[in-house]
Amino acid sequence: MIFVPITYKGGVYRHDQVVDLIEDLGGYIVQKHMIAQEVVLQCLVPREDVDLIREVGKPLGGEVTVAPLVGTEIAVVSPSLEIHHLPHVSCDVAEYLRRAGAKTNMVGLARGFGKRIANLNTEERDVINEHDLAVYVLGSFEACIKEKFPALRKGIKVPIVVTGAPEAERLKAVVAPPVEGYVGDLGRCMHRTKKPEELATLDEMVEEVSRALDERREAIAKDPLSVSPARLMDVIMEKVPEIHIVTHPTPVTVQIAGLRVKLPYEKYAESLQEIEIEEGVTVGDVAEVFPSRMRNYIWVRIKPFSETNLMV
Amino acid sequence: MAIEYFVVESPEERGKQTYEEVANDVLLDLDLVRIVQKIHIFVDPGVPLFVAVGTTHPIGSLIRVRDAADVNVDEEGRAILSIGDEGYLAPMLKVLWERYGKEHVDQPDRFSVLVSVPAGEDPRGIEEIVIADPEEGLYKDLVYALQIIAPEGFKVRRQYHKEGVFYYVASEDTLPEEVVETVVAEQLKKIGVVL
Repeated sequence: MIFVPITYKGGVYRHDQVVDLIEDLGGYIVQKHMIAQEVVLQCLVPREDVDLIREVGKPLGGEVTVAPLVGTEIAVVSPSLEIHHLPHVSCDVAEYLRRAGAKTNMVGLARGFGKRIANLNTEERDVINEHDLAVYVLGSFEACIKEKFPALRKGIKVPIVVTGAPEAERLKAVVAPPVEGYVGDLGRCMHRTKKPEELATLDEMVEEVSRALDERREAIAKDPLSVSPARLMDVIMEKVPEIHIVTHPTPVTVQIAGLRVKLPYEKYAESLQEIEIEEGVTVGDVAEVFPSRMRNYIWVRIKPFSETNLMV
Repeated sequence: MAIEYFVVESPEERGKQTYEEVANDVLLDLDLVRIVQKIHIFVDPGVPLFVAVGTTHPIGSLIRVRDAADVNVDEEGRAILSIGDEGYLAPMLKVLWERYGKEHVDQPDRFSVLVSVPAGEDPRGIEEIVIADPEEGLYKDLVYALQIIAPEGFKVRRQYHKEGVFYYVASEDTLPEEVVETVVAEQLKKIGVVL
């Protein structure tokens, strides 16, 4: 079954019918937001059933759109989140990525400003490495980007998309070794993005990010995961009742090849590994469970088929 | 009154455009477009150096007690101040307390202040006491704005504002004093000012 990521937007009234339908079709709801009278569902559904969901949602005022980033967790890295730059362009970047379905985390570096003194500490590095992709929101001058970026990317193993005021071509020229994506015309900006050309740049950024993530997905497809992250999320939601008390918007965050479970590692890591997924296969068999550098969460990395010889 | 002269200079064309936008946004947001007359910004990330020079429109004179209150004298020889503009009440009270002592300044209600002046002094003289200098607030706002316009990493800085001329120099590294002075003089020449 091939899953496609979609966003369903509709009214609260009878939305449980859509939820049931998605679950019956074997799809997964990765995120659910209820804002006043509106419901937004980020889900992964079987490709052939998208039209059916659209039809069922229609009389309820529901709208189905393809959201390429559903099921990904992206770090928006900004050299500084200080009051100096308010309103922050990183906020617009994160907002746009969320609209495309991603779960974003803002990473404001402690010592990221200045071109000579910029650096990345180990905690920041490890936190960024727990994501599927990092978007570096950089500034206006080529000379600065050239000098500081090597320090900011030190030790980062996940794909990187760089944004900055110089054109993408210029960014490509100054960033060495190359990264997975470049978005130009998106540098320091002291107002909220609202002009059409600014919004077009943000759309371009989303495209660039999804392109970079597609490359990552393709690489994973060559050696598929032992279990799909969305399925594992479903299992955890079902078998760990404590997860329902967690007040985070996404108590279990789905990533391309893993999960972030927002429960304390010390208390739950062991029982999490023992959860049975199907016919005696436990979470511990198909995934590694690590303490996350983000608070005291649990970070689950799903092993590929080649390591486990299992597929559930 | 709009800005008469607004130029940003930088070796990088794209950086120059960005800083034009940034400076424009900040001056608009902080309501300084009516105050700044000329501004010339020079940014060179290579040195690194950020210089902003400019002039401000002549600003209103000092605020005295008579601008904020009417002064009358009662039969006991005390000055009665009827507050017209409450905005200056706090600085006015501060000045009066300093000058006459708290025991001689009384505020029976929100809009009146009674001052017992020492014998031999004219109670009407209170009218001329200076209570605020608008230039001071302006200087603070201007420096704040320029600080925001400048790149964040440029933490080492020097600022100046006197008689309608200002400059702000910032860098990531410490710069020798002579260099700063030559650079500032050079930039000031562009707006036709000699310090």
